[in-house]
Amino acid sequence: MTTQTAAKGPVNTIMAAGLTGLVVSLGLVMVGLLQEGHAAFNTGSNGITWGLPVVTYVFFVLTSTGLTFVASLAMVFGFKDFYPIAKRCIWLAVVTLIAGFASLAMEIGHPFRMLWAIPLSFQYLSPLNWMGVFYAAYLGLLLLKFHKVNGGDWDSGTSRQLGIASFVAVVIAHGTLGGVFGSMAMRPMWYGGLVPIYFLLTAAVSGAAFAVLITYLTYGNEAAMPEKVRTLMQGAMPKVFAAVLAVVILAVVSRTVTGLWSNADGLQVWDHIVASPWFWIELLLMVAAFFMLLTGSSPMWPAVMVIVSLFIGRYEFIISGQLVPLFKGSWVPGLISYTPSLTEWMLVVMAFSIVFFGWAFGEKSLNLEAAPKEQ
Amino acid sequence: MAKWGMVIDLEKCTGCQACSTACQMENNRLPGENYQDVLYYTEGKQPAPTLSWFPRPCMHCEEPSCMHVCPTKATFKTEDGVVLIDWNKCIGCKFCMIACPYGVRFYTDEKPLIEPNIKSVFKGEGDLSWNPPYKGPQQDASHGVGIQPNGVVSKCTFCYHKISKAPKGTPDLSNDDPALREFVPACVRTCAPTARYFGDLDNPNSKVNRLISAKKGVRLLDHTGNKPQVYYLTGGGAAGGAIPSSRANDKKA
Repeated sequence: MTTQTAAKGPVNTIMAAGLTGLVVSLGLVMVGLLQEGHAAFNTGSNGITWGLPVVTYVFFVLTSTGLTFVASLAMVFGFKDFYPIAKRCIWLAVVTLIAGFASLAMEIGHPFRMLWAIPLSFQYLSPLNWMGVFYAAYLGLLLLKFHKVNGGDWDSGTSRQLGIASFVAVVIAHGTLGGVFGSMAMRPMWYGGLVPIYFLLTAAVSGAAFAVLITYLTYGNEAAMPEKVRTLMQGAMPKVFAAVLAVVILAVVSRTVTGLWSNADGLQVWDHIVASPWFWIELLLMVAAFFMLLTGSSPMWPAVMVIVSLFIGRYEFIISGQLVPLFKGSWVPGLISYTPSLTEWMLVVMAFSIVFFGWAFGEKSLNLEAAPKEQ
Repeated sequence: MAKWGMVIDLEKCTGCQACSTACQMENNRLPGENYQDVLYYTEGKQPAPTLSWFPRPCMHCEEPSCMHVCPTKATFKTEDGVVLIDWNKCIGCKFCMIACPYGVRFYTDEKPLIEPNIKSVFKGEGDLSWNPPYKGPQQDASHGVGIQPNGVVSKCTFCYHKISKAPKGTPDLSNDDPALREFVPACVRTCAPTARYFGDLDNPNSKVNRLISAKKGVRLLDHTGNKPQVYYLTGGGAAGGAIPSSRANDKKA
């Protein structure tokens, strides 16, 4: 194991900002929840059932999935160019997963009851359970893999098997998360067997975007990067990023056109989606990022643009799937209206703060720059 | 064992909402969170507008999608065909609310429909969401009966606290037999035009079965495969005949 050039980016600043954000947001969330319970959210029986906290959960667990894909390029598929960022990606996969789970825990009515009620009364038909099983297994495997890598064991049989097992676990986990939405035939905006594949693609692109962003934040700029990292950031990484992004753009356009054309009740929400400027911002950011990646400029800004775009996309997917009311009559005469509350937005801040604080902590304490000797 | 079901005659329903009111009182419901609701729809413009209404309890489906998605089996089906929630096992993930095609599940931890907030005026004791001045049935959390606790989902129980005490083998629970009145679900018992019938769908001689057969009872959204145990008599149309397509309304959010 070699230790590469010491990081020069704004790690300390981000760690302080992350910690401040975490304390403030968690404080505000706790005040809201302790005073009002989940009435502090703008969700409801006649409104949106799964609101912004679930959007945040899906965004971050799929980002974790994507980061594992990026790490697996080196550790499972043997693309050695990706070794210099592999350890950082594994650590970031852990913290994004924790951020997602934290958001969900604040959203569930009885998170502690969940800990015993699910194992003792396991409903094997529920996609939610399998999602929990495989994401929990994934978290365990990821931590074990990180432990191995952190101890300098990159290539032993056990270490490699842990890498492969983590990859397989997360492919299944994200698939079951796709099943949570894709199985809902009564909500046609979500329904479909290809939803897990759509999640896989968008997860991969979100993992690539976070891997790029965090690498740039670590070193500050390309000039400060070790040579192998710089080569990766100017070569293979933006190419892989652009290729997956192109497929994601096609998937978004394809879903939109199909939704607009089809006539099943529930799909009229697509008219509402394309009437919103957010949809066009989402699409524009993705397309612009794609062309910026092709021109060979620094992939950092495309990464930021894609992260923003994907968050809009997750919001659009999860909220829009619920906007057409089911048998609410004059209680809800049109589409459901939903604006997240302050407490819900603070959960978003909390999750991002966990990610940035967690990453900065790892960067300072866990030697995330490490790579195998031959690298 | 009975398989309890309901028949609602849309040609007799006047939309008076006595069923909703009786249900609210019986089951301690908060404003706007009606296990049993009469949904109103307006369509068209003057001089020919249409006002229609549709009574909608929980469908107590034979294949309840809400039950299949519940990670803790808190939603379960009793031997007598009623879909209930065990509030002691519900974790409040709300997946059942997502998966129910009929929108009949409720999570009371939300902004109040009207001010002052009834939950603040009549504060609940312990884990209960509120403390209604009028108390319905005794608390039976394992069957989702009584005052709804915080952090769990609730739904129509077919007044399980009543029907579960009915004599075994009873084909129908109706007001016609004074000895059975106490066991009749509140919405059926109060229905002034007798548009509602409640009985055993497994008993070929029950009135509900004879009505379904004679008047061609149909089920709501049968294509979902949920197979509701609530049938509608429509005079020949589809169960959703009283409901305009949701895109008939103004869809601006």
